[in-house]
Amino acid sequence: MAVSPTEAPVESPGVDQNGLLVVENLKKYFPITRGIIFQREIAAVKAVDGVSFSVRQGETLGVVGESGCGKSTMARCIMRLLDPTAGRITFDGRDITNLSRAEMRPFRRELMMIFQDPYASLNPRKRVGFIVSEALEVHNMGTEAENKRRVQELLDVVGLNPEHYNRFPHEFSGGQRQRIGIARALAVNPKLIVCDEPVSALDVSVQAQILNLLKDLQSTFGLTYVFIAHDLNVVRHISDRVMVMYLGHGVEIAPKSKLYTAPKHPYTGALLSAVPVPDPDARGKKKVVLEGDVPNPINPPSACWFHPRCPRFQEGHCDVETPPLYSFSEGQFAACHYPLEGWPLTEDEMRRPSSGPVS
Amino acid sequence: MALLEVRDLKTHFRTDDGIVKAVDGVSFSVEKGKTLGIVGESGSGKSVTCLSIMGLNPKRNTISSGEAIFNGKNLLTMGSNELREIRGNDLAMIFQDPMTSLNPVHRIGHQLVEAVQLHRDVSKKQARARALDLLKAVGIPRAERRIDDYPHQFSGGMRQRVMIAMALVNDPDLLIADEPTTALDVTTQAQILKLMTTLQHEVDSAIIMITHDLGVIAEIADDVVVMYAARVAEQGPVDALFKHPQHPYTWGLLGSLPRLDADVERLVQIQGQPPSLLNPPRGCRFHPRCPYVMNICTTEEPRLMPAGDHRDHLQACHLDQATKDREAAKLLAGTMAEAS
Amino acid sequence: MVRYLIRRLIWAVVLFFAVTVVSYILFFIIPANPAKQACGQACSQKDVQRVAHNLGTDRPVYYQYYKFVKGLIWNQSLGFSYFTRQSVNGIVGNAAPVTASLVFGGVVLWMLIAIPIGVLSALRPRSLLDRISMTFVLIGISAHPIWIGLIFAYVFGFRLHLTPITGYCDFINPSTDCGGPVQWAYHMVLPWMTFAILFAALYVRMIRANTLDTMNEDYVRTARAKGAPEWLVLRSHILRNAMLPVVTMLGMDVGLALGGAVFTETVYSLPGLGKTAVGALNNYDIPTVQGVIVFATIAIIIFNLAVDLIYAWVDPRIRLG
Repeated sequence: MAVSPTEAPVESPGVDQNGLLVVENLKKYFPITRGIIFQREIAAVKAVDGVSFSVRQGETLGVVGESGCGKSTMARCIMRLLDPTAGRITFDGRDITNLSRAEMRPFRRELMMIFQDPYASLNPRKRVGFIVSEALEVHNMGTEAENKRRVQELLDVVGLNPEHYNRFPHEFSGGQRQRIGIARALAVNPKLIVCDEPVSALDVSVQAQILNLLKDLQSTFGLTYVFIAHDLNVVRHISDRVMVMYLGHGVEIAPKSKLYTAPKHPYTGALLSAVPVPDPDARGKKKVVLEGDVPNPINPPSACWFHPRCPRFQEGHCDVETPPLYSFSEGQFAACHYPLEGWPLTEDEMRRPSSGPVS
Repeated sequence: MALLEVRDLKTHFRTDDGIVKAVDGVSFSVEKGKTLGIVGESGSGKSVTCLSIMGLNPKRNTISSGEAIFNGKNLLTMGSNELREIRGNDLAMIFQDPMTSLNPVHRIGHQLVEAVQLHRDVSKKQARARALDLLKAVGIPRAERRIDDYPHQFSGGMRQRVMIAMALVNDPDLLIADEPTTALDVTTQAQILKLMTTLQHEVDSAIIMITHDLGVIAEIADDVVVMYAARVAEQGPVDALFKHPQHPYTWGLLGSLPRLDADVERLVQIQGQPPSLLNPPRGCRFHPRCPYVMNICTTEEPRLMPAGDHRDHLQACHLDQATKDREAAKLLAGTMAEAS
Repeated sequence: MVRYLIRRLIWAVVLFFAVTVVSYILFFIIPANPAKQACGQACSQKDVQRVAHNLGTDRPVYYQYYKFVKGLIWNQSLGFSYFTRQSVNGIVGNAAPVTASLVFGGVVLWMLIAIPIGVLSALRPRSLLDRISMTFVLIGISAHPIWIGLIFAYVFGFRLHLTPITGYCDFINPSTDCGGPVQWAYHMVLPWMTFAILFAALYVRMIRANTLDTMNEDYVRTARAKGAPEWLVLRSHILRNAMLPVVTMLGMDVGLALGGAVFTETVYSLPGLGKTAVGALNNYDIPTVQGVIVFATIAIIIFNLAVDLIYAWVDPRIRLG
């Protein structure tokens, strides 16, 4: 599929061109083919369908969404593990959207990833020392002795015993393996780390350890994070700004403080409302429970992608005109014609927008 | 009398490496129509406890002891035929992963009808009608057509609804739910929890909800059992547990939760990881990770004692009451000292 | 579905040409002279040339191939044997039922052995039964069918006189004093056992592994949680799923089996396709060999297609197309 960099036309709202990572109108479609001898594309799974955001140096952008929203696909596109179908990705001032594998090589040092499954993301046949130092060797970053020392330093920094240099992954617990993954990402002094659900597979008590570690490392090494998760609590804890994704689109971006106290998009509201709060007194509070399932990304709804499930759906408008990312105060953007007036709202208030559409 | 009374349940597995004490002395009771939450992390024994009650552990190499009195009879000593009559009938269970818990080669109608006909002497037509009723009750759209679909044609949330329908089809007195929403999205989780509580009131079933999520516990449980390393660390009514938690592990669990409604600079973390069940630590099993550990904790196992604020609130910790009250208050005020 | 069938048909045609072209070419790489073979030792150079001209072997390769394909498509004829001048259609037609009896009878026998042993071993892993059956598997896979065949022939045929050692009896037409279903089966017992042992061993292992895996699946636990008795769990949940991969393997293995049949036919002197092909090869009798190849190729293609369709019917997750 051809990538057309010219398809990132207008200045996307909320996108700071000076950011370390700038993503404009990113799209990734997976074609579905049919045919007897020659395969013809008849449809496409629109996994990511126009996402724009930017991340400044030193900040953490949280990306939250449920299964099927495209956040993992987007992460892989940013890392150029997948080739984008359209859009533009700019890293540290350079357009990396269409670079070949060879051209991309030097950027791989600066852009690293931590994966979700600590059991599957480490090669079980390699020792920990090799796993962490592999990137150093690939990029010729030091002699063997220097690399070994660096690996031991890193193991110490992430809270593991440097003596365990020669052990295999299966000798570690899940939380420890995730630390190895973090050490691996840090080895080459990256500028940006994409964390793809790094704590989802861990127990709650271990989750806290890893989150604290990530925060400490960020301040020590001046790292920038794109933190992807489906757990709103976790994202709140670690992010500066948060983007909410639904069906391949970013439906709301806001600074953390605004998103959790004054969300604008009904989907954000539903997500916040659905999270169980560990406080028995909160039991009485009425929740907004979304009906139905996420639609099929092969055949997404017309206009506003959320309209079939939206409690404030206004017929004739929401299913006809696609909402752009409207700008609200203090860097908050939401793609909704009838944004939430306040928070929390009762179910009735959710269903009845009190004001007219955003102009 | 309680619907289910579990006394000193122990389940040990014989393995090549030795005996794994997966459940080592757990007691609790469930009242009719109420919800008991069992919370713990991986390896705490929460799942094995319920599999033992249902008799679903592999027969060979499993050593069970203790009592699980259900409707007056001990499930653990019952003959397998008698147990089979209760399973799927008065006592039902749903599991964590809806994607793999349904047989992929049979239509869901077939699987539901099987559940009915195993325990009721009805014709296939009647069983199918009952299955259809349940599918509608759990909110499957266009149930008349979907009853002949295969599991892979449903989404995760829908499959879990089918599982719930299958469990409730014979009006069980007790439904055991083993992490039913862990594998689901948060909005789907909210739907399923709402469905379960609604149906619970209609059918008047009791529920045992196993989870690692204290938020879910706070939402739907009446009583809670906190398990650690195959034992009970603390148990009691849900208000008592959240308002006056008495065990350092519970404090750790509560403190390590990132909150939606509050900003905490640093999460309370519990050092280390859960212990091996082959060779659990001597004395209190939590002592290697406990920030309040004392000498006595390494030698003497603490017994479950009343916590003082409620007669059903029990905890197993050597700390004196004054310290416990103080630390609990600090935790709830959000100023808990970080354990490092 | 229709699209799928059309695609398979096109591939079948392509495959057919590929196989026949390659075998033709192979023949011409062998330094052989069919004409000389056909003519005999006493023939002179001129006689050999005359025979060559009659047979058509003095023409270039591609011409001979062209004639072959033309004969096949226009006349549905596989040609005539260089050696015996008989119609290859007839030769193949006589040999095919023999091989078919051997292969299909063997399949039935090996499944009858493999399914019970495989399932029982899985239900009681590491028991005495399991260990015995795994030993059987080891022997069955390691020993060569010819060796097994000779041992069986010696023990059961020669020493114990339980079964005949050689010969084939027609199922339907008693052309000799040996004929009819009983005699047919009686003569086939030893060949079936020889043929089946290897595959039975492989399938015991596979069925055991599949059943063990399936037994641990979550839906089996769900079935028990519903209160289903063990026999129902076994039949409706475990076996129904564990046997699915067996269907695919059967398709592939029948193809292999046709090849393995050669050994069995040789040991027991069964006049099947394998023996015919081997004999024809020794005589450089190209048309006969080609005839066997064509027949086998078509049979395997049809069989594989049938297996794929059955698999799609049995496993609802598979959608062809």
